[in-house]
Amino acid sequence: MLKIAKEKMPELLNAWAKIGKLYVPQDQDGVSNFLPWDGKGKLTLGQGNSVLPPKDLFFPRTETMYRYQRSGGALSLEEVVENEKQILVGIRSCDARSIALLDDVFLTKGYVDEFYRRRRENTLIVALACNVAQDTCFCTSFGIDPGRAEGVDIQVWEVDGSYILEAGTEKGRELLGQAPALLMEAGEGGLPEAPACNLKVDLAGVTEKLQQMFEHPFWAQICRKCLGCGLCTYLCPTCHCFDIQSENRGDSGIKFRCWDSCMFSEYTRMAGGHNPRPSKKERVRNRFLHKLQYFPERYGKFGCVGCGRCLSYCPVNMDITRIIGGIKEVDLNG
Amino acid sequence: MVEAVARANPLVPELGKIIKIVDETPDVKTFHITTEKGKPFTPLPGQLAMLSILDVGEAMFSITSQGPEHLELAIKKVGMLTEALHEAEVGQTVGIRGPYGNGFPLEMLVGKDLLFIGGGIGLAPVRSLINYCAEHREQFGHMWIIYGARSPADLCFKEDLFQNWPRVPNCRVDVTVDKGDENWTGPEGFVPAFVEKLNPSPKGKIAVTCGPPIMIKFVLQSLEKLGFQDDQIITTLEMRMKCGIGKCGRCNLGSRYVCLDGPVFTLAQLKQLPNEY
Repeated sequence: MLKIAKEKMPELLNAWAKIGKLYVPQDQDGVSNFLPWDGKGKLTLGQGNSVLPPKDLFFPRTETMYRYQRSGGALSLEEVVENEKQILVGIRSCDARSIALLDDVFLTKGYVDEFYRRRRENTLIVALACNVAQDTCFCTSFGIDPGRAEGVDIQVWEVDGSYILEAGTEKGRELLGQAPALLMEAGEGGLPEAPACNLKVDLAGVTEKLQQMFEHPFWAQICRKCLGCGLCTYLCPTCHCFDIQSENRGDSGIKFRCWDSCMFSEYTRMAGGHNPRPSKKERVRNRFLHKLQYFPERYGKFGCVGCGRCLSYCPVNMDITRIIGGIKEVDLNG
Repeated sequence: MVEAVARANPLVPELGKIIKIVDETPDVKTFHITTEKGKPFTPLPGQLAMLSILDVGEAMFSITSQGPEHLELAIKKVGMLTEALHEAEVGQTVGIRGPYGNGFPLEMLVGKDLLFIGGGIGLAPVRSLINYCAEHREQFGHMWIIYGARSPADLCFKEDLFQNWPRVPNCRVDVTVDKGDENWTGPEGFVPAFVEKLNPSPKGKIAVTCGPPIMIKFVLQSLEKLGFQDDQIITTLEMRMKCGIGKCGRCNLGSRYVCLDGPVFTLAQLKQLPNEY
């Protein structure tokens, strides 16, 4: 394990930023978000999780897929291939799990999403262990260790004014080897204990219960206060729905994809007007069933990582932890 | 992680051209599409294609038939893209990608008598299977095609209904319209009641149905009345789709994606899934 003093961190980031485009949580108008590092930003590594999840780095909010051009009578089409190296520093264990879940979606089940795959394979991930759990954190309920992220290239811990770094992959070892002058042997000394989440959910049997709750009046009740704004899907690190649209300028244009939300009525509305999920009830039900029943059925894992963003920022306090509690309390025979 | 090897991007279409347009009804046209290298791909009966006019939009359609060099998509005018397709002329450049979806379960149909029930444009996906069975006639038992549309003018694939299919060996075709016109001498009435009147026996049969959602709903009831079991009934669904490869989320029925795990389901399979289509 290696070690660097906290105040030297910007120098390490500067060194790494020469290898690839580096994203690290920084202050953006008073909130913490993953932003490109230019050596001048104000780091927010120690201040809880970013408001926006890091999925943007693999699955951008808007991503051009291909361009087309008409010249004379002929139309030509060119795929946009993005191969930039990226280094993502400071993600938390919950978000690391979310990337594993996005891998399941975009890289398995018959088709590989090439846009996602290229960004994913070109990205090194450096995780930062949590020292403190926020009031809305419940990652441990999903078996996530806030003190050590899964599948990352380098794990970092903050200890007594220093950062301890440990490579988890060969690529991570190579990255640590890029700045030998800045890093020293960490020597002996324990790693900090991972914090405990105050918020907990009991997930035992939830998927199986939901399999019998599709027609239950529960959904008509809980959907009432939802505004259908889609903020939860926007902030969710595992939501992966997208729309495909085009933008035209004269003889040329682009086809792009952008984040979409199952909270919107147009999401499922077909040409001709038929909509299989016509009201809030069906849409709210779909969102929670997707996280807690459909995702586990399809990929063998819950589609939630307990990051707490949706419950922190929902304008009407829709709270997935209370909804899980409510599901547990439903009497199927009642 | 998946190996980084050169491979085609499933979200990027090939460019092709409309080489022929057939007027089926006042609001349905069949488009024959090919690419410079010939047929874009060779779909199984019941599979789907993403068709686009690049500056208008892209949508999923069933592939109603194919030739050695082209695909045929029968398309009803209902929205922005389909309006643009209906205004298009032969020579129009289109984007096409696929094939998507599971297609009809041929292994389950081999050796069986087949009952095809279609309504309106819903005959389009079923037609790919009818033509396949006609081409591989010895592999299947009796074929019985029951089809209806709102009016005689709204009947799709008239040449198949009245000339080609009645000449297929051991094949019966019955056509109804909701309401006839002065020249119509055939049966009148809705498809579900027509099916009940024709009274096909469920013995050794598989029923394949597609049509407007309301027709499918009542046809399923009629088939149950006639004694068909859930695993003897096959249907093919429509959903709004964007990616076609099970990633963009919107066409889910429970944990299944219609674009990938469908669009063809047996009624037995559908009853295991949320009733949300």
